[in-house]
Amino acid sequence: MASLSTWLRDRIPVSGDALRELTNEPVPNHLKRWWLCLGGTPAYLFVVQIITGILLAFYYEASPSTAYESVHYITNEAAYGWFLRSVHKWGATLMVAAVILHQMRVYFTGAYRRPRELNWMIGMCLLVCTLMMGFTGYSLVYEQLSFWGATVGANIADTVPGIGTFIKQMMLGGDAYNERTLSRFYVIHAAVLPAATVLLLFIHITLIRLQGITEFPDADSANNSKPRYFNFFPDHMYTELIIGLVLMILLSALATILPATMGPRADPLTTPEVIKPEWFLYVTFRWLKLFAGTFAVLSMGFIVFVMFAWPFIDGWIRRRWPASEASVWIGIFGVLTIIGLTVWEGLVAH
Amino acid sequence: MTELPPQTSEADTDADGRRSVLSNLFMASGLIAGYGAFAAIAGRFLYPAGPSAQSWQYVARVDDVAPGAAMKYRMPSGARVNIARRGSAGTAEDFVALSSTCPHLGCQVHWEGHRNRFFCPCHNGVFEPDGTATEGPPAEAGQRLSSYPLRVRSGLLYIQVPTQALAAAHDIDAADLDDDAPQGPGHDPCLSRRNPREL
Repeated sequence: MASLSTWLRDRIPVSGDALRELTNEPVPNHLKRWWLCLGGTPAYLFVVQIITGILLAFYYEASPSTAYESVHYITNEAAYGWFLRSVHKWGATLMVAAVILHQMRVYFTGAYRRPRELNWMIGMCLLVCTLMMGFTGYSLVYEQLSFWGATVGANIADTVPGIGTFIKQMMLGGDAYNERTLSRFYVIHAAVLPAATVLLLFIHITLIRLQGITEFPDADSANNSKPRYFNFFPDHMYTELIIGLVLMILLSALATILPATMGPRADPLTTPEVIKPEWFLYVTFRWLKLFAGTFAVLSMGFIVFVMFAWPFIDGWIRRRWPASEASVWIGIFGVLTIIGLTVWEGLVAH
Repeated sequence: MTELPPQTSEADTDADGRRSVLSNLFMASGLIAGYGAFAAIAGRFLYPAGPSAQSWQYVARVDDVAPGAAMKYRMPSGARVNIARRGSAGTAEDFVALSSTCPHLGCQVHWEGHRNRFFCPCHNGVFEPDGTATEGPPAEAGQRLSSYPLRVRSGLLYIQVPTQALAAAHDIDAADLDDDAPQGPGHDPCLSRRNPREL
């Protein structure tokens, strides 16, 4: 054993103490509460998505003539195919929810403020990547929702002045949905976006490590000798492992009780009487019903820009009105608007 | 005995500085040219080759469509076009061929006979029988259903449509079964193979 240890140390010249120093980030006490650990949740779910996605890719065929049948094969014939596809689908749903909840936590605790403005923007990029992975993911099944979702998505891009048509053509590989469209969505979903997400996650976590986790005022520890931090390893690692275990149980239960189904095969000639995207796009879908094309798209783009630049906008507001709680009220208004539009779209047929 | 540092003149320092700037410039130019060329090739590779192919397709004899009548025409892709005749001059201007693609975001509108209107289920767009939008985002944007180019040659009506087909044949057959739009001769598969220049 000692010789093996020596052999390894000769080839990997890192001491245990150095490794411990490198990884053992001091974790503020508030992270003992699980609901403040939501940052690790989407990362864990992303790993689940990569593993189940690789498995699904063994059988999936990205072509309009074979895609639907290959998903049908995965769902109904391949051993445990229904389970893996369902875990992938529910993993995506929970990942979107976890990213949104994590972002809300960061927003309402002001953790995006100086010096963490850039990390907020990287987090926004991760949110966009997550939503795009969800959108391109359900486009791959080649059911009615997939086809019309992709068509509407490409035409939304088309309404952007100047570069809209170029983006649409790059998305679809032509003027309209064609034989080469599905393979583009597949490559974007399974290679481009995951690679971008891994890169962004690396930068996100590196910045967290360099800047440290945001500390909150802690009444308990301010005036006594209780430590304000605990160790990442093993204490916080155990918390994350327990969250991962609970998520795996939740995913398995959801996949078993509410397995992923398949809608009718894509019919490019008929838009279904009632059509809706996945729940996380309800808000944009309702927005597109409320306002005419270009205004709806540009206003959505403006809202996303404001979200990106929020740390700087918030900084300006706080310099001008130091005592204001504007960010909290704007946040509450934004969340209620998103929930309201989502519920509205969910409750009505048209 | 200590070694003295080499003596360098101001001219040598300037020359070194110029050499350094030039070598950095050449390095940056090479990198930008090399990777830029690769990015341009990759971009062009991903950009679609060209617009989708279109051709003139036979629809019907002009005399077979009475003024005021409407008919359904199915494109080679399977998409439906509603063609109505409004004049009796016997020219292409007598006809209008409405697309069933919503100008808002590209969904397919369908005809609601009981309400005498076209309806787009994606974002609640409503269109008059002549294609004018009256409700929903298309109306707010002042849009209407687009129309396809038509022409008349030797008493025969032709339409210019995309020829790329994505729908499977059984989809087209199924769509035909539940269609309450006015029926018509459709396109002639024999004539459709002719070179458009021969028409």
